[in-house]
Amino acid sequence: MRFPRTLRASFSNTFAADGVAQGLAKPAARRFPAFDLARVAGGLVVVVLLLLASLAPSLAQSSVRPPAGAVTLAPPGPEMQGGALGNRSDAEVWHDVRKGAAGRVSIPDPNAPTLIQSQGQDWRVFHNEVVKVWGGRIFAGVVVAIVAFFLIRGRIRIKGGRSGRVMPRFSLTERVVHWFMAVLFVLLGVSGLILFLGKDILLPVVGPSVFSLLASASLQGHNLFGPLFVVAIVALFVTFVRGNGFRWVDVVWALKGGGLLGGHASSHRYNFGEKSWFWLASIAGVALSISGILLLFPDHLPGMVAQTTPDAPPARAMMQLANLVHGIAAVGFIAVGLGHIYIGTLGMEGALEGMTRGTVDENWAKEHHDLWYEAHLAESSTDSVGAEVAAAAGKV
Amino acid sequence: MTFLQLVEGPLWYLAVVVFVVGVVWHLVGLVRLGRSVDRSAARSSGTAGALKAIALHSVPHGGNLGRTVYHFVTGYAFHIGLFVLVLFAAPHVKFIHDRILGVGWTAMPRWGFLLAAEAAFAGLILMWVRRLTDPVMRRLSDADDHFGVWLIFLVMLTGCLALQEAHDGLRALHMLFVDILLIYFPFGRLMHAFTFVFSRAYTGATYGRRGVTP
Repeated sequence: MRFPRTLRASFSNTFAADGVAQGLAKPAARRFPAFDLARVAGGLVVVVLLLLASLAPSLAQSSVRPPAGAVTLAPPGPEMQGGALGNRSDAEVWHDVRKGAAGRVSIPDPNAPTLIQSQGQDWRVFHNEVVKVWGGRIFAGVVVAIVAFFLIRGRIRIKGGRSGRVMPRFSLTERVVHWFMAVLFVLLGVSGLILFLGKDILLPVVGPSVFSLLASASLQGHNLFGPLFVVAIVALFVTFVRGNGFRWVDVVWALKGGGLLGGHASSHRYNFGEKSWFWLASIAGVALSISGILLLFPDHLPGMVAQTTPDAPPARAMMQLANLVHGIAAVGFIAVGLGHIYIGTLGMEGALEGMTRGTVDENWAKEHHDLWYEAHLAESSTDSVGAEVAAAAGKV
Repeated sequence: MTFLQLVEGPLWYLAVVVFVVGVVWHLVGLVRLGRSVDRSAARSSGTAGALKAIALHSVPHGGNLGRTVYHFVTGYAFHIGLFVLVLFAAPHVKFIHDRILGVGWTAMPRWGFLLAAEAAFAGLILMWVRRLTDPVMRRLSDADDHFGVWLIFLVMLTGCLALQEAHDGLRALHMLFVDILLIYFPFGRLMHAFTFVFSRAYTGATYGRRGVTP
């Protein structure tokens, strides 16, 4: 190997300087100063680096470039493709991901190709900042209103006291269906409220361990009793729909505030408030049932239901919609249900026994359902047991 | 000792002993009561009458379908659902294998558990609601009837709430109610699970000898 003359000179000078090469190389006249050696070496390094830099792209591309005539299986289209070839920046790719662009996966999961579902952000904001916040406010408002009404108005007594005569009002079937729904209302209501608002209200109070236990139990209980609610709401509608159609007298009743605004408010078997509650419970119950089933069995959605929008994974978008419907319907159902429970128990004397024994006092009937009372006056009796048996037999 | 260890350990063993001894004591006492000697000539077999009564009273018969269909449906829904849960729920199969028999069997799938639980809960709630609202049943029922229903309900409820098997506290709560149920069982009407055979057989044998078993 023959070095260039400059290098040979440098080596000679170097070795001569430390005395090692004095016997190997013949001393020569010094034509280059010592600092020239560093300059030359630095120049060489720069040349080599520039050479490598100019060759690098071609070397890199040639290592991954398919052979000429190769057929690529990548489909055309802008989304999530081409990053490996360097023709799209990371920023562009992640921008698409954030916007919900779908990639490709090899597993049979329709949700898997979408890393970030943008609709989920909308759902989360609406659920957490609208449904939950307003749901909590509505519940609190209803409780405050009930307490205030009780403190101001007190228990609504039967005018003139009890007459000693009773009338059959609700059949055994009606009462069984009502209490079946009532049991489920309590079980699902309590477990649902823990799941709905527990993280905001219970967690800070009871701590994560206890809340975790409550949430786990509530989830299992809610999922278990949910299907029974579907059966109960259908039975409730079929059993009570008769007599719950609105009439003109109900409008008058509403205008008089049910008698609270002064004067007597006439009513048939059900008044305006009861009819409104029936239809709200029925509509909310159907919404709760359908949305609950969708939430319970997301993997078994029929295709026509599952395919909601082209932009979002079908099952997930449907579940988000179902979740919102479930929450809104539950708020309405529970809030009005609390009022129903109050007026049917503590709030009004003589109302509860209609749903326990099936009979009501004659004076109560005359005061609250005078039109129904007049139509059933012949069934009024001092024989409370006989009236109870008649009610159970459906003679109402 | 944790609460879970207590209810699955000493309290569990105490409950099992009380349950077994109590049931045996109750049944032996029942059998030892005997019955007065029937000196009349038997028109038919008392044994056949007993067997016939046990079978017939398990289904609506004698034109009683209309009156008994509610109890028939809800009663079977509850009892079949409960027995399926007790014997074939996966945690129960494991418990029976590990703690009682040393052998196990195939547990039912989750959908089977849910179906059985729905049937059992629906049946129990509907029977209890009927007990509260039916004028005759309400007057026939006492605290024992309601306590038994509530105890069974709480055992089933806590069991289902612990279905996720993620918290020892829920499992301990379920086991606590199981222990209470076992201890209470021999002293209340829950004993009908065993005594129904004796009562039906007694009535069936009596009427069978007279040849009037329906």
